[in-house]
Amino acid sequence: MRLPKFEYIGPETLDQALDLLDRHKDDAKILAGGTDLLVRMKKGLLQPKVLISLKALTELSYIKEDDDTIFIGSATPLADIIASDLVQTHAAALSTACDKVGAVTLQHYRGTIGGNILQNTRCHHYNQSAFHRSGRQPCHKDGGKICYARDEADRCYSTCQSDGATALMALDAELVLVSKGNERTVKLADFYTADGIMPFAMEPHELLKKIIIPKTFTTSAYQRLAYRSAIDYPIVCAAVSLRTSGTTIDDARVVVGAMGRSPLYFAQASSSLKGKDIIDTDAFHASAVQAMNSAEAFAVHNAGSTLEYRVTMVEQMVFRALEKAAQPGIV
Amino acid sequence: MEKIKIILDINGLPQEVEISSNDTLLEVLRDQLDLTGSKESCGEGACGSCTIHMDGKPVRSCLTLALEAEGTKIKTVEGLADGDRLTDLQQSFIDHGAVQCGFCTPGMLMSADALLKDNPKPDKARIKKALAGNICRCTGYTKIIQAVAHAGNPRNDCPDCQHQNKQKE
Amino acid sequence: MSEYSLIGKRMPRVDSRAKVMGKAKFTADLKLPGLLVGKVKRSPYAHARILSIDTSKAASLPGVKAVVTGDDTEGIKWGVFGYTRDQQFIQTEKVRYIGDEVAGVAAVDEETALKALDLIQVEYEELPAVYEPMEAMASETERIHEDFPNNINIHVNIDTGNVDENFEKAYYIREDTFTAPEESYFQAEPYTVVANFDHEDCLEVWCPNGGPHMKSKPLSNAFKIPLHKVKIKKISIGGAFGGRSEICPADYICALLAKKTNKPVRIQFTREENTIGTRQGHAMITTHKTGVDKEGRVLARETTCYMDGGAYSSTGPIATSVPFLSMEQVYRMDSVRYNGYRIYTNKPIRGMIRTHGRGFAAGLDTQLDMIADHLGIDPIEIRLRNVRKPGEYTSTKSLVGSCAMDETIHTAVKRSGWKEKYGQLPPFHGIGIGTNSVQTGFPMGIRGGSQSFIKFNEDGEAFVMSGVVDNGQGNDNMLVQIAAEELGLLPEDIHLVSADTETTSSDPGSYSQVSTFVGGQAVQIAAKKCRKKLFDVAAKILKVEPETLNAENRMIFVKDNPEKSVSIKKAVRVSLLNFTSVNAEGGYWPKVDMKREWVKNPYGQMCEAFSFGTTIVEVKVDPETGQVEVLNATACQDVGKALNPLVLEGQFEGSVAMGGQGGMLTEYHDWKDGRCLNSTMLDYKLPLACDMPDIHCDIVESIEPKGPYGAKEAGMSIAMSAAQAYAGAVCNAIGVYMDSFPLTPDKIIAAIKEKQSCSEK
Repeated sequence: MRLPKFEYIGPETLDQALDLLDRHKDDAKILAGGTDLLVRMKKGLLQPKVLISLKALTELSYIKEDDDTIFIGSATPLADIIASDLVQTHAAALSTACDKVGAVTLQHYRGTIGGNILQNTRCHHYNQSAFHRSGRQPCHKDGGKICYARDEADRCYSTCQSDGATALMALDAELVLVSKGNERTVKLADFYTADGIMPFAMEPHELLKKIIIPKTFTTSAYQRLAYRSAIDYPIVCAAVSLRTSGTTIDDARVVVGAMGRSPLYFAQASSSLKGKDIIDTDAFHASAVQAMNSAEAFAVHNAGSTLEYRVTMVEQMVFRALEKAAQPGIV
Repeated sequence: MEKIKIILDINGLPQEVEISSNDTLLEVLRDQLDLTGSKESCGEGACGSCTIHMDGKPVRSCLTLALEAEGTKIKTVEGLADGDRLTDLQQSFIDHGAVQCGFCTPGMLMSADALLKDNPKPDKARIKKALAGNICRCTGYTKIIQAVAHAGNPRNDCPDCQHQNKQKE
Repeated sequence: MSEYSLIGKRMPRVDSRAKVMGKAKFTADLKLPGLLVGKVKRSPYAHARILSIDTSKAASLPGVKAVVTGDDTEGIKWGVFGYTRDQQFIQTEKVRYIGDEVAGVAAVDEETALKALDLIQVEYEELPAVYEPMEAMASETERIHEDFPNNINIHVNIDTGNVDENFEKAYYIREDTFTAPEESYFQAEPYTVVANFDHEDCLEVWCPNGGPHMKSKPLSNAFKIPLHKVKIKKISIGGAFGGRSEICPADYICALLAKKTNKPVRIQFTREENTIGTRQGHAMITTHKTGVDKEGRVLARETTCYMDGGAYSSTGPIATSVPFLSMEQVYRMDSVRYNGYRIYTNKPIRGMIRTHGRGFAAGLDTQLDMIADHLGIDPIEIRLRNVRKPGEYTSTKSLVGSCAMDETIHTAVKRSGWKEKYGQLPPFHGIGIGTNSVQTGFPMGIRGGSQSFIKFNEDGEAFVMSGVVDNGQGNDNMLVQIAAEELGLLPEDIHLVSADTETTSSDPGSYSQVSTFVGGQAVQIAAKKCRKKLFDVAAKILKVEPETLNAENRMIFVKDNPEKSVSIKKAVRVSLLNFTSVNAEGGYWPKVDMKREWVKNPYGQMCEAFSFGTTIVEVKVDPETGQVEVLNATACQDVGKALNPLVLEGQFEGSVAMGGQGGMLTEYHDWKDGRCLNSTMLDYKLPLACDMPDIHCDIVESIEPKGPYGAKEAGMSIAMSAAQAYAGAVCNAIGVYMDSFPLTPDKIIAAIKEKQSCSEK
C-alpha cells in the first residue's frame, strides 16, 4: 500500500517544530511513531501536505518524577513506559494499558505514548480503504452527512480505542500542549470534544509536549477485552484509580474506554466508592453496574462484536479493574 | 516531488539511495536494494511480515518512512546469516519444521532474533508474547515456538525435542 | 530397522534454507526489465448495470501505458465446468458484487496507476441487490444471472432411497438448524501476478496457483492461443488453503495489459483485494434431521443446506457437495437424503476452502452429542457405533479401503485423558471431540493423473520433473524425498523441476488433497523405472543378478554383501558409454468412476482412498466474559503412511489453528450492504501465537494399499475435526448446545445467561 505524497520536515528542536506547526497549521501533521497516522494516510483518510517528524526531538522522550508527579515526554516509546518501575509503582494502570497496545514487535518500540493518546477515533465503517468508502454516501467523519453506525445520527460516533488515554484519565492525568509562544495545561478529562470528527480539543498548531500524572492515587488498574490477546484494539476497557487510607477508599476514579468518542469518566460510579472498604466487593459491583448503565448511552455498534456484548462487559471490566486495583497481586 | 538522496546503514553496509518522502523503508529495501526477504502482507502494521531491526529493535518497515531510518542501523533477514553460515535460530527453524510457505518466516525470524538477543533462554510464554505480532497462517505456531525455544541446540536430533518426545511416550 | 532410508523420517524440508535466508522468491519479489504496475478498477456497487465506461482521461495521463476494459476482451465467460460458465474476466454488461472487475490499467509506477483508476469514469445504473441466500431465493427483483431462476446456482441431490421408511423405524428423531457465516483464506501472500509476452509471443505468467495447468487452459481459451503459448512458471507460493485453485480475473487482466503494452506487468493485490477479489468460504445454513435407534445408531438422515455462493459459480458443484461427502465418509449413512443449494448473492465469490463446511460438520457433531445426551450414551461411544469401517461403501457408492477411524478415536481418547475428564471437569471447563474424513482426490477427467520424468546427469545427480505444485505445505520436499528414496541418492542430489506448464506434464493440482497420492506416486513409478535401468547396468558391472541389488547413499550394492558395490555416478557413466539412457517416465491415474459427476450423477467411486481423523480439545470458558481459553488439543489422523512426520505434524498443527482456533472462535466476515467490514489483517481475526494451545499430534498408519508407501490425504481432515471438537468442547463447558458458529464471546455469554434464567424459572 502506497502512502500519498507529502513534504517531510525533521526539525532539530522543539522550537523549530512549533515554528513549523505555526506556519503550516492544518496542512501539517505530527509524525511520531507513525503506527496510527501512516495507516490512516495509506487508507486515504488523511492527506497532510507536511509531516513534521519528532524523530530528532529526543527532548520529548523521558520519564521523570518529582515528589508528587510523574512527567512523561510525549514521544516516549511505549516500551520505555512498560519497562519503567516508576510508572509501575505510581501508575500501574498505564503500565498495563501500554503493554496491551498492539504487539511487542509492532507497536512497542516505535509507538509513542503521545501517539497512543492522540490516535484518532475509529469506526468499522470509516477506517476502510478509499475503495470501500466509494460508491456510497460519505459519512460525517468522511465529510458527509450520514452515519452508518447509528441511524439518523447528527454527528460522528466513532470510538476512542486508546488504551493509554483510558488509563491516563483514570489517573487524572494532565496534558501539556505547546504552540509557538504558548504553553497550556489541560486535564485529560477536558481534552475531548463531543464530536468524533475532530475528537480532541486541540488547535492544529499545538503539539502535545508531555503528560503529567499526579501521584495522588494509591493504586490503579486497567482491564480490557479484545478478540485476541494481541494486535487488536480493545472493544471495551476500563481503568480505575483508588486513593486509600488503611483499607478505606478516600477517592476513586472509574473510567470506561472503547465505548464512546473519548474515554468516559463516570462521576457517580466513582463517588459511590468513597468511604467503602477495599474488600467491599458489593460496592465494586454497584459501581460497575452504574458504569455500565452510564456507558450504554454512548456506545454504537462500530467496533466489532455486538453492542449488547460490549455494553454488558463494561460491568465486568470495571469490576475486575477494581478488584485488581484493590489487590494488586491479582493479575 | 523531488527525490532525496540519503545513506542508509543496511546489514552493516552504507547504501546510498534516492527516495521520495513517501517511500516506506520496506519499499526502499525491496524495490531499490533488492532486499526482497522482507515481505508486504498487510501493509498496515498488523501482520509482522515486514519486521526488520532498527538499532537492534524489531519494527515493521511498512510503517516506517525510509527517511526516518537515516542514521539508524537496519538489519534485514538477509543480514542474519554470515555468508552461507546460518545463525542457530535460522538452522533451528529448518530443523524443527518451522517453515511452511515461508512468507511470514523472515519477519518471524527478525522478531525471534531480537527476543533471543534480549533473553537467550526465553520460556514459552515469553516467546508467544514476542511473536504475538507476527501472523502465520500455516503452522499453528507450535513448531515456530519450539524452534525459538531450542535455538541454542546443535542441529538435527534436537535434544530438547527428543526429551519431549520421550515424555510423550 | 526401517525398510526405508528417507521415507518415514523427520526430514527437514529442502526448500526451507532459501526461505530462512530471505532468498526464496515469491511473485512480488520478481523483477523484470521494464516492469509496469497494473491495477484493477472494481465496482463499488453490489449490483448495477454498466451504462458506459470512459477511459480517455486515464489513458492520457502521463505514465499510463495501457487501459483495458471488457471491450478489449473476446467476451468469453469462464467457469470451472462447462455448465458453470458465468463469469467474464472484465464485466461488460453488469457488475454483481462490490469488487467485480470493470477495467485495468498499467502504468510506470503505483502512484500513476492508482491515479489512472480514479480517472476511469464508469456510469452505472444501480439494481436492487440481495445479500442473503434465503432472501435471494425469494427475491422477485432482477436475477443476478438471467438464466438462473430464484438465483439458485447449483442444486445437488443425493438420495439413497428408503429414507422416509427408515425415519419411521427410528426410536428418536431430532431436527436442528446450524448456521455459520463466511470465512476467508488469508494466505500470508496477498495475490500477485506477473505477466509477460516473450520474444515468441508466448505468455509467461508467475502467480500463486494450486496447479499451473489449471491456469494455462483458461488463459489459452481467453486469448484464443494454443496451450503451448501459455507458460505458467514456477515460483514460491505463500499459502493457498483451497483459495488459489482456479483462474483469477487479474491473471487475465495482467496478461491483457502485458499484451497491449508489450511489457511485463505486475498486479499486486492489497489485503482487501485478496479478501474480496479472490475467493471466500461459503456462509451456510444447514438443517440436519437424524433418526436413531435406541443404541444411537443412525437409521436415517436428511440434510438440507443453503450456501451463499456469492456472485459467480467458481467451484460451485464441488463446494455444494463436499460438506456432505465428508460426513457420509466419516459416518455410516445407509439411508440418507441430501439437498444442497448454492445460491447466488451480490457478495464476493465463494470457493473451496480448507475449512469448507465447518458449520455443516460442527452442526452434525453437535447434534450427535445432543442425541447421545438424550439417550445417555457417551459421545465417544455414539461415534464408535456410527463411524466408518474399512471395506464399506459410502452412501454415494465409494468403496472405502484403508480406514483406521476407530484407532484414531481410541488414540485421541487415550492421549487426551478423555475418560478421566469427560463429565468430571470443573465448572465451565469442557472437552469435545470431532471426527472427520476427507477424500484423497476426486474425478477430474483428463487432468486426473500426474506424470513425471526423471533424467540423470553424468555426475550421478538427477533432475525430477513433476507437475505437482507446492503451495507451502511441503510438496517439493515430498517429491524429492520419494525420488531420493527410490534412486538411492541423497536429497541434495535431486533437482526438482516442477509446477511449470512448459517443462512438466499435467497434474491434478494441490487442491484436492491428492499431491502425494497421485503426483508423488508418479514420481515413485518413474524413479523405480530409472532404478531398474541403473541396476541392470550395475548388475553387469558387479556380475550379479539385478534382483540382488539395493541402492542407498549414492551407492548400488549387493544386499547380502554391501561391500560389493558401485557408485550411482559410475553406473550412469557406464550406461551412457554403452549407448543406453538412464531416463524414465512414470504416470499415475487413480482408478475412479469417470461417470461420477457432481450434479448429474453423484454416485460411484470418488477416489481411491479416504483419510480419517479425530481431534479432541479441552477448553476453559470465562463465564463472565465468554472468552474461551483453549487448554490443549489432540490431533490424530489416519494418514495411511507418514512419509515425513515433521511435515505432517505441521499440517495437523496448522489445521487446529485454522479450523479450530480461528474457524470456531474468531473468524467470520462482517457485512454492511454487501461491503465487507473486516477485509484486513487487523480486522479479520486470525489466530495468534499467544492464543494457541499446546497441540499433541498422533499419527495413525493404516497403510493404504493404493497409495505411495501406503500414504493418503493429510492436509485437511484435522482442520475439519478441529472445528467439530472446538464446538463440542465449548458446548460441553457451558452446558448449552450451540447452533450458530463461530462461538464468539457474545454468543457464549448470551447462551449462559439464557440457561441461567431458564434454570431460575
